[in-house]
Amino acid sequence: MATESEGEEDAATAAGKLTGIPQLSVEDDLREMANKAAWSVSSCKPGNGVLSLRDDNLDTYWQSDGAQPHLVNIQFQKKVKLQLLVLYVDFKLDESYTPSKISIRAGDGFHNLKEIKTVELVKPVGWVHISLSGTDPRETFIHTFMLQLAVLSNHLNGRDTHIRQIKVYGPRPNPVPRQPFHFTSPEFITYSCLR
Amino acid sequence: METLLMDRVQSSLRLFMPKNAIFLCERLCAEFPTESNLQLLANCYLGNNQAYCAYHILKGKQMPQSRYLFAISCFQMNLLREAEAALSPANEPNSEVPNGAAGHYLLGLIYRYTSRRSSAVDHFTQALSIDPLLWAAYEELCILGAVGGASDYFSDVAASRIQQQYLSESSSHKISIGDEDRSIQSSRVLGLNDSSPKQPKNLHSNSIKEISNTHVVMAAGQAANSGSSNLSLYNTPSPVASQLSGIAPPPLCRNGFFNAVSCDGSSKPAANAAILAPRRKAMEEGRLRKVSGRLFSDSGPRRSTRLSGEATAGINSNASQAGGGTGTNHSSSSRFLGGFSSSSSKTSSAAFRTMTGRKGPSCISESFDEGRKTEVFGDSCGEDASATMSSVAIFVDCRYLEEDKINLHAGGLSVHDSKLINGIRELLGLLRTLGEGYRFSCMHRSQEALEVYQKLSQNQYNTGWVLSQIGKAHFEMVDYFEAARFFDLARRVSPYSLEGMDIYSTILYHLKEEMKLSYLAQELISTDRLAPQAWCAMGNCYSLQKDHETALKNFQRAVHLDSRFAYAHTLSGHEYVALEDFENGIKCYQRALQVDERHYNSWYGLGVIYLRQEKFQFAEHHFRRAFFINPRSSVLMCYLGMSLHSLRRNEEALEMIEKAILADPKNPLPLYQKANILLSLERYDEALMNLDQLKECAPQETSVYALMGKIYKKLNMHEKAMFYFGLALDLKPPATDVAIIKSAMEKLYLPDEMGDSL
Repeated sequence: MATESEGEEDAATAAGKLTGIPQLSVEDDLREMANKAAWSVSSCKPGNGVLSLRDDNLDTYWQSDGAQPHLVNIQFQKKVKLQLLVLYVDFKLDESYTPSKISIRAGDGFHNLKEIKTVELVKPVGWVHISLSGTDPRETFIHTFMLQLAVLSNHLNGRDTHIRQIKVYGPRPNPVPRQPFHFTSPEFITYSCLR
Repeated sequence: METLLMDRVQSSLRLFMPKNAIFLCERLCAEFPTESNLQLLANCYLGNNQAYCAYHILKGKQMPQSRYLFAISCFQMNLLREAEAALSPANEPNSEVPNGAAGHYLLGLIYRYTSRRSSAVDHFTQALSIDPLLWAAYEELCILGAVGGASDYFSDVAASRIQQQYLSESSSHKISIGDEDRSIQSSRVLGLNDSSPKQPKNLHSNSIKEISNTHVVMAAGQAANSGSSNLSLYNTPSPVASQLSGIAPPPLCRNGFFNAVSCDGSSKPAANAAILAPRRKAMEEGRLRKVSGRLFSDSGPRRSTRLSGEATAGINSNASQAGGGTGTNHSSSSRFLGGFSSSSSKTSSAAFRTMTGRKGPSCISESFDEGRKTEVFGDSCGEDASATMSSVAIFVDCRYLEEDKINLHAGGLSVHDSKLINGIRELLGLLRTLGEGYRFSCMHRSQEALEVYQKLSQNQYNTGWVLSQIGKAHFEMVDYFEAARFFDLARRVSPYSLEGMDIYSTILYHLKEEMKLSYLAQELISTDRLAPQAWCAMGNCYSLQKDHETALKNFQRAVHLDSRFAYAHTLSGHEYVALEDFENGIKCYQRALQVDERHYNSWYGLGVIYLRQEKFQFAEHHFRRAFFINPRSSVLMCYLGMSLHSLRRNEEALEMIEKAILADPKNPLPLYQKANILLSLERYDEALMNLDQLKECAPQETSVYALMGKIYKKLNMHEKAMFYFGLALDLKPPATDVAIIKSAMEKLYLPDEMGDSL
């Protein structure tokens, strides 16, 4: 699933606007984190619920059914390090249902969520990669219990929104336990574990 | 009709036509519902992989062979308790285990899989003492870790035991012949008549009586064996018969013999002698060898040597023996009998000597030695051969008698003996070497195992099994390149064999050879989709690509195919750990340990889980268990050191790490761990020394530089710290490390915070 190629992002990124790319391109040292997390949404239309966000099927989508902002909540069992959020949206298919302004919040729970990023999408088709890192190298990851994705507005001023898939990525743990650093050279890796 | 059916059933079994065999056998059992027929039917079902059918028809039967077959079907259906009850009933603690060595071996397996190790070891040793050539029992002993030395089992004592077995077979053969079972005899006669060609039928019927006696004995013993033995018996008389037809003189003897037979009821010698004579004439060593090879599964060479010896020279002694035996019945004696008496003194002693020397020839002796009904016929298996042998011997005897070459006989017998002994010795020597090598492998003394395997002959060395054992030995020594090379050779020599290929796939995983690994996995699956090793290889392939879920699915498939394959469980455990599902990981490892307690990889896996979960005591215990099983692995020593360090038993930790460094100088990790421990003990300079050493052997390793940077930071040598952090970053470590290193760099000029989490 994860490809080695670097994700290309438009010049639009510089302005904080994102368009999607057709392929999911995530670095090898990241892994999907949210399999064991608890997912919930603020509202949904029957038949297009939260499961469609996690079913690896780009034809099924979540459709909200309430007032804006529409929320997707991801709660983890323990504090995790997250680096990347990826969502699949399709302007050509969804038009006015396509989200245009998204705010990402993190915190310990519903009571102390703080916004960490806002992005604007411009007619996105494909996977939209949203990095959660700060500018500081120390802030490559966010440590958090909970992540909330808020759709603040849609294209063409649509009321409800469609999102087809969401994935959350974080770093892989060190395969050798209790080590300060990862091993990178083949000499070390060969001897680092038994199988 | 009964014999006819039995014959057809057995030949169908032999020619792998199970459906035909089953149908005919069911008719047989319907007509003649005896227990031995039921055993035959069970054989057919087991041959057709229908253990449940065999289970139902044999339930409750008490004959030893039935109990054995019932136990086999229970074992295949995984009903271990019933299998055990059948083989050694609870209310008869001293009853004999049916089928001797095979029964003990099966019992041993049952005890092993129900986790009663000492009883298992007991039974395997007993199996080996009864039949020293039962390699499977020896293998199990090695796996259980309870074997002293291969030379113990494949020793000269064993050799003499094998010889005695053959001897006792022949003697018991004799006795059984005495106890004629008329019905079986007649059936045998019929059967024999069926298979043997026209002419000597009359002669056959009489001689067959003799032979059938022996057959009878054998048939009573083991259904399966008797089947084969019957067949072989059927086969052997025919050449004999053909021999008979071609020879003129024998009739004289025959008549005389027949008279003698009728006289004392044990006409075997006469008939046998008659049969023997022509047989000896026409039979060449080669043919005898073939016959004997068929009759005796594992004593082929010996038999053949014996037969040939008999053919050439035994006759005389036989004749003499017969003469001695039928001393009382010499009334209608021909030249033959005269010859007997004349040479009786000389040859009888020789005959006795030969008798002691070999199993088969005992037939001869038995046939001629009517008087000596004391000899006990041993295993049924041997019976056939001995019967044939006896017939052969008789022929030979007759021949010689007619030619009056008594002296040859004596000489021939000793040749037999020596050939037999040589054969036994060679085989035991080979098994001893292989056994020593395998034992060392199982005890993880890989270097010694390799040395032992070097002693093998070229032919034996270049077989798949040996080459993959050598590959395994290199794997245990963490020498993956050599191991891969040997496994490659093994695959070229026997590309169809899947044994040990799971280890090969692990080696390729360690070497990160994606192409080779996927190729191997594809090949294995196309060779045999039902082999757990193939799916393990496939799983390793996916695991290498970090697709742990699919890898897990493949390993689970391997587990389903064979739940007694410990490595599949261990590999599933590894995948669960990679997916951070520790609970299931623990379960998998424990299942692996249930199957094979000495599977140190599972102990290691459990240790790693506990280390992750910070249950350091548990971790240390498990690593120590693994280390106890495999004391040569530097990786295990390293991990044990790490867990000791986490328990803050730093002195012991350092000791263990030193051992690891000594054990395998190519392994850089112990040095690194040592530096880590020294850092925590604040012995910075020593730590730096070690890391400098490491720099030489692994110049591309970021963790080395990062750690050095950390130490220099502690020593407040900021420039050096920056330098090394920079070096580390240049080598592109993964993102987490980048974050850590960069934040360390930022904090360089800040005061050291207490317990900074670098």
